[in-house]
Order: sequence, then C-alpha cells, then structure tokens
Amino acid sequence: MKVAVKYCGSCNPEIALSDVGHKIERALQEAPGINVVSRRSKPIDVMVILCGCPRACGDKKRIRKRAVHCIVVAGETIDLVPVAEKDLTARVVQKVKSFSSAEN
Amino acid sequence: MGMIHGDDYRESLRRVKPEVYYMGEKIDSVADHPAFIPHINAAALTYDMAWAPEFEELLTTESHLTGEKINLFTHVHHSTNDLVQKVKALRALGQQTGSCFARCVGHDALNAIYSVTYDMDQKNGTEYHKSFVNFLKEVQKEDRFISGAMTDPKGDRSLPPSQQADADQYVHVVERKKDGIVIRGAKAHITGAVNALGHLVMPTTSLKEADADYAVCCYVPVDAPGLVHIFGRQTNDDRKCSGCLMDQGNPEYGIVGGEALVVFDDVFVPREQVFMCGEYDFAFELVERFATAHRQNYGGCKVGLADVLTGATYALAEVQGTATASHIRDKLVEMVHLAETLYCCSIACSCQGYALPAGNFMADPLLANVTKLNVTRYIYEMARIAQDIAGGLLATMPSELDWGNTKVGKYVDKYLKGVTDVPAETRMRLLRLIEGMTCGTALAESMHGAGSPQAQRIMIMRRSNWERKKRLAQKLAKIGEQPKLV
Repeated sequence: MKVAVKYCGSCNPEIALSDVGHKIERALQEAPGINVVSRRSKPIDVMVILCGCPRACGDKKRIRKRAVHCIVVAGETIDLVPVAEKDLTARVVQKVKSFSSAEN
Repeated sequence: MGMIHGDDYRESLRRVKPEVYYMGEKIDSVADHPAFIPHINAAALTYDMAWAPEFEELLTTESHLTGEKINLFTHVHHSTNDLVQKVKALRALGQQTGSCFARCVGHDALNAIYSVTYDMDQKNGTEYHKSFVNFLKEVQKEDRFISGAMTDPKGDRSLPPSQQADADQYVHVVERKKDGIVIRGAKAHITGAVNALGHLVMPTTSLKEADADYAVCCYVPVDAPGLVHIFGRQTNDDRKCSGCLMDQGNPEYGIVGGEALVVFDDVFVPREQVFMCGEYDFAFELVERFATAHRQNYGGCKVGLADVLTGATYALAEVQGTATASHIRDKLVEMVHLAETLYCCSIACSCQGYALPAGNFMADPLLANVTKLNVTRYIYEMARIAQDIAGGLLATMPSELDWGNTKVGKYVDKYLKGVTDVPAETRMRLLRLIEGMTCGTALAESMHGAGSPQAQRIMIMRRSNWERKKRLAQKLAKIGEQPKLV
C-alpha cells in the first residue's frame, strides 16, 4: 500500500505539526506492507493530509484527487473526530492499516 | 527552473557587483559581510521554506503564465485565495525568522505593475504590459529576489516634484534615448536593496502634467552603472560585527529587513525594462495598488513576529517566576488579542479583494490601509507590554562578554538568575531577543514601513464613502428628503 503525506502549509499550527508529521511518516515506514511515497507519485492509495488547525487548509480537491483514500488530520482531529495530539500518530497508522485490510 | 534554494540565492548575490557602502566603507561582497548576513539569511528562508514539505502549500504556487510551479514571491495573485495564502505565508515566515525577510516588497511591486501596465496599454495603446510580462517570466524562471523602490527623499514636502529647488529629490527621467531612458534621483528606506538582484522603481505620489518626467517605472539591476547603495544604520548594529552572538538577540536573522538609500546617478535603463515613462495620470493608481498590496501584508508578517515576541515574553515570565501572576497572564492575553486583531484585518482585506482589468486580484484598499494603520499602534502596544513584563534588566543587562569573563562571569550568572532550575543564560538570551524586537529600529519599521500613518489616513479618507454615511444618518433622523437607500 502506497501512502503519502501532505502538509497544509503550517501558517500557525495549533499542534506541533512538523513533529507529528515526522512521527507519522516514521511509524508508517516501519509498518509492514506500507510504502511511504512522495506526494507527487502516482498512484497513491492513501494520502494523509496534515493540517495544523481545524480550518484544514490542506484538504483540497486537487490533493484528494491524487489518492484513493484520504485521512485528514486537522489540529486535534482525524476526519473530524477529536483525537488528542499524543494519540494522532497511532490513530493515523491504525486508519491506514484499516484501508489495507479492507482491500485484502 | 522556477524555484531555487537559499544557497543558490546566496551564490547569485556573489555573482553581481553592486556598489554598496556601509559605515564609510565600500563593501566587497555583501553575501559575506556580517552586517548583511542576517538579512540574507532571512531572505534565503523564503527560498528554503518553499522546498520544505511543511510549508510548500503556502510558499509555492502555479504560474498563471507558464503553468510551472513557482515560489509564491514571484506570483501574480489571481484569486482571493491567493491573497489569503500570501498573508498566511508571511505569518509562517515571520514565525521562523522573528524578523523582516524583505522579499514581499518586490512581490507587491510585481503585482501592482502587472495591473497598471495593462491599464495604461488599454488607454494609450502602449506596449508596457507585454514588456512587463516578459520581465515577469524571467523573474519567475530565475526565482529572482527583487526589491520594490518607491519612496523618494521628497525634499520640501509642501512642493510637488516639478517645483522642488533640487529636481533630483524625486527620481525622474533626464534623457530619452532611442533604446532607453536615463534616470536620476534617489529612493530612500529601500528594504532588501543591498541583497536584491535588482530594483523595481515606481513613482511615490500622485502626479500632474508638469510632473510627467517623474512618472517613471522601470527595472534596474543592482549593479547597473551609476547605481549606488548606502546601507542604513540600525539600533545596536555594531553588535553584528563585534563577535557577540547572544547580544544580537536574533543573530541568525537580525531585527529588520536591512534598508538602504539607493542613488540613481544618471542610470541608463533599456527600453524593455521601462514600464512607465511620462504617464503621470497613472502614477496614483500604481502607488495605491502597490501600497494596498504592501499594507495587506502587515497583519501577516508582523503577526508572525508578534507570535515570537509573545512566546519570548511568556518564556521570560516563567524564567523570572512571574508567569502565574494574574496581571502577567492578562497582559500576555492582551498581546495575543492585539496580534490576532491584526491578523483578522489582513485576512479580511484579502477575502474582500477583487479582480482588476488585467485579471489579477488586489486586496480591499480600505481594509488594507486599516490593517497597516493598526500596525502602527498595536505593535507598539505589544512592545510596551513585553517591556513591562521583562523588567528594567532589558535596558541594563551586562554584555555576554562579561557573562563569559573569568572574573565577573560568576556574578552575572548568580545575580541574573531567576527561578532556580533555569540558568541565567536562558534569561539573558530571551531578554536580548525582546530587546532586539522592541527597542529601536524594529519599532520604527512598524510605524513607517509601507508608508507612514498619515499615508494610510489619506487613503482611508479617499476610500470612505462619506456622502453615503451622511445620507444613512439623515434618513434615520428624518432630515430633508428621505433618500431611498435600500
């Protein structure tokens, strides 16, 4: 499964966005069956869109179009569901894996 | 190409040989002189952050001319989203530099000239816009850092340019040749002038027919013959050359953008780099569009700096053991309130932006001027609060050289310490950062950068619909004939 990470632009993040992003990328790289690829590569199975606040500026049509599935982290939420900052990495990885198992 | 890195930019500076003077001496290499390095570092970040995944979405975009990916600072805005993106990018950059990064001025000049050249051509059948679009393509391809040079020295401010005793108080055309023009005069306070690769020269005020020679807009490379740069002094700038790092406060990025007096001593400008020559009736339009674009910025970059200043003040309060006092918390909240109010202004004027005949967008001029007018007050108020919380040590603290001295360093360590678990060094570093951001040049930049407060008031006066406001009141007060307003 090919997964890419895309940031919103980080104008004034409410969470430590770079740290969260790096942790997510590392965790995904270590997960079996998951291949972290460039956000410009094709095809992408899952795009993790990392946004620093609920405004979710990174959640754009042109970005969603690049992947089969999208996961939007927006501040302390994942796909609009509240998640504490410390739990974001684990929950994103879990969600990516759920796409993988659904397709298997 | 379309996008370069910070080190490519530094190398590009080494390839040109501008005539630059600082402290009475001619500078050999701007890129390698300690007086300029912090300003160059800040500008370089506009390149490097565009490559960072975290900031790419804000600092890059697609050229409307070529469809290629370009740095935001060479882009001509084509939607209100573009205008909002600029403000957010400026805030993000301000948070990382804590200082001016200087590149927005040339960017705003690109946007203003793009639209005004189009308008001039539509009215007069000239071909300025075509020349400008060719120039813009070059700028985008090279990701070139250019400055915007608007403000003339102005001499006797009660007189228009053509009536000055010294005709050179405003930049003007002294000779028209077949292949170009020769200009003379000076531009003052030009941010990033010595670390740019060229200047976009624009008129500074509205002009009348008698001032037609002063209606000149053109591009001049930084090393054009006859061009002289005299770099301005800044508060405590000798600390940059003293070997001290801590005492600089923000040694990597400095405290302001680095301004210079730029003298045009009969500089030849080739025809293809001339974007206005004699069209005095378009001077005001250019001034207003540039000023609007630039004033729009200040609730972005300055708010990024305010985020740093507020963080430094909060951290210092913790180090000094005052962070939990209710009056300190209240003052910190006030700092955030002031900063976010400025941000609201910049976001609002961007959202209320509109299309111009050339197809590009500009921010709402009234709201952009309100933004900048607020900056002339709120940044000072934030600085006042930061200095209040910091305490008198901000002005009396010993040098880092004394802190490092074998004999007295132990006393500095002992008596400058606040709470027990934090070393004096931490407190000293925070105090120096706050000193740099609130004492001297940095504050004056908030007052006069993008035009002095009165310039904003004049624009606000022009843009406020006074008669409609009056009619609204008259209608409700039942005065005279009842106008139909709804």
